[in-house]
Amino acid sequence: MMNAVSPEVPMPSSPVSAARPPVAVWPWPIALGLLTIFGLLSALLGQHGIWLVLSWVALSIPLIVTVVCLIRAWSRPSNKGGLS
Amino acid sequence: MWLKRPGTKGEGRGFARILLLRLTLTRICERAVFMTTRTLRRWFVVHKWTSLVCTLFLLIVCVTGLPLLFSEQIWDTFVGDDDPPYEVLPPGTPNASLDVIVEKAKALYPGQIITNVDPDDDEPAVLVSMAPSWQALKDDDKYPDRNSSHWIKFDARTTKVLKQSRPETEPKPPGTWTGLIMGICRRLHVSLFAYLPGRLFLGLMGGVFVASLVSGTVLYGRFMKRLPFGSVRRDRASRLTWLDLHNLLGAATLVWATAVGFTGLVNELQTPLFGLWRVTDVRQILRPYANLPVPSQDHLSSVQAAFETAAKAAPGNEVTGLSFPGASFGSPVHYVLWTRGATPLRARLFTPVLVDARTGKLTGAYPMPWYLRFLEISRPLHFGDYGGMPLRILWALLDVVVIGVLVSGLVLWAGKRKIATDARLRALGYDLDDTDGVPALAERA
Repeated sequence: MMNAVSPEVPMPSSPVSAARPPVAVWPWPIALGLLTIFGLLSALLGQHGIWLVLSWVALSIPLIVTVVCLIRAWSRPSNKGGLS
Repeated sequence: MWLKRPGTKGEGRGFARILLLRLTLTRICERAVFMTTRTLRRWFVVHKWTSLVCTLFLLIVCVTGLPLLFSEQIWDTFVGDDDPPYEVLPPGTPNASLDVIVEKAKALYPGQIITNVDPDDDEPAVLVSMAPSWQALKDDDKYPDRNSSHWIKFDARTTKVLKQSRPETEPKPPGTWTGLIMGICRRLHVSLFAYLPGRLFLGLMGGVFVASLVSGTVLYGRFMKRLPFGSVRRDRASRLTWLDLHNLLGAATLVWATAVGFTGLVNELQTPLFGLWRVTDVRQILRPYANLPVPSQDHLSSVQAAFETAAKAAPGNEVTGLSFPGASFGSPVHYVLWTRGATPLRARLFTPVLVDARTGKLTGAYPMPWYLRFLEISRPLHFGDYGGMPLRILWALLDVVVIGVLVSGLVLWAGKRKIATDARLRALGYDLDDTDGVPALAERA
């Protein structure tokens, strides 16, 4: 796919980028990654009651965020979607 | 262009110096930009090829892994077990001595040997495995359809026989669809029906998958520079929608996929890792006994006492089973007792304990080497079986999202191939009216 935004065609000077200022790329993936790590470990190390529940909650969040993004994108086709 | 302006050569020293400086700066900048592009292109090639190599196999393991996640529930629902129910005894009824059970087993099959005594984890039962002789078990390896070992299930409290394995002479019960499908899934998932080579190959694919995740993360950082997280552009070329989907689903499951992929790789290495342990530490421990004859089972020390000795030798562990002297992996004169950690985290950390079967004395407890501990700790993180049904369901959902990542990646790759072909066809003068597949233009429009 990558030829759509291929490395050979740098974008910074294109008019599109003027409309889209650079955004912080990593906060969301890092937050979801940390939640996943917490979810994986809390059930493994805690094993009981509240730790299990926390694990289920933490691992659900990446899935919920994904579903929310998909619903946003598909419910408003003209919108660019996404969380800001 | 000002660099090549005529007339700069003959001017003063100061200007020449500034020019030189500017020239150097420009070169550095050009190089930096060039390097970024080239590095990025390399990452892209790494991502494309690592993904292409492992995608088919990952699709297989992702799909077959789904039913395996729920195998217990599937068996219970579609097959169930025909074991007779346990007798209802007053709570707190103590278990009978294992020696009584061993004697009963011997009386049932005089002249045979006992190979293992395994109390059940969560039911009041003891499984005793027997065989005509150790030699008969060894010979089984030469005939894949022969199995001379059999088992008897005793009630741990009353020592009554609950069930026995199907005798060799009886015809096999008809296979069930559940058994067939689950068997196919398991063998595809673990070894692609190719035994050890298949396991090692899938382990290699696990490594390639991790490489593809790392390269994918680098590319994600580049492509998401100007898009808010979770954007799915649907108003442009469909390829952009697929790219955004690939990025969103991939970013959401990145850590989970890395954990499950890497622990899958470690799991596939279990045969060589256990083999390594056997030829190093285990061989060293057993060397003094290696050439002793296997004593007759009529004159061995108490099995019950051996369980108690092992429990003391490995404090904090529970004893899960015992192998009689002469087993292929053990010593000719020792009971091997398998103990494991009592806490859930350590539940898969096995510590074998050797008890001399001639005297009943403890020889030693031998914790596993670090690589096997690492293997055992990483197992639950692959199976997702350590947090109840909700965790299994989450595992299944995350697995489905990863399937989405794989499929969208394939679509992107196939789309790119199509464009390349279209461009070639256009170059040859064919008139193609499909304009949907030209996202490079759409992106710049």
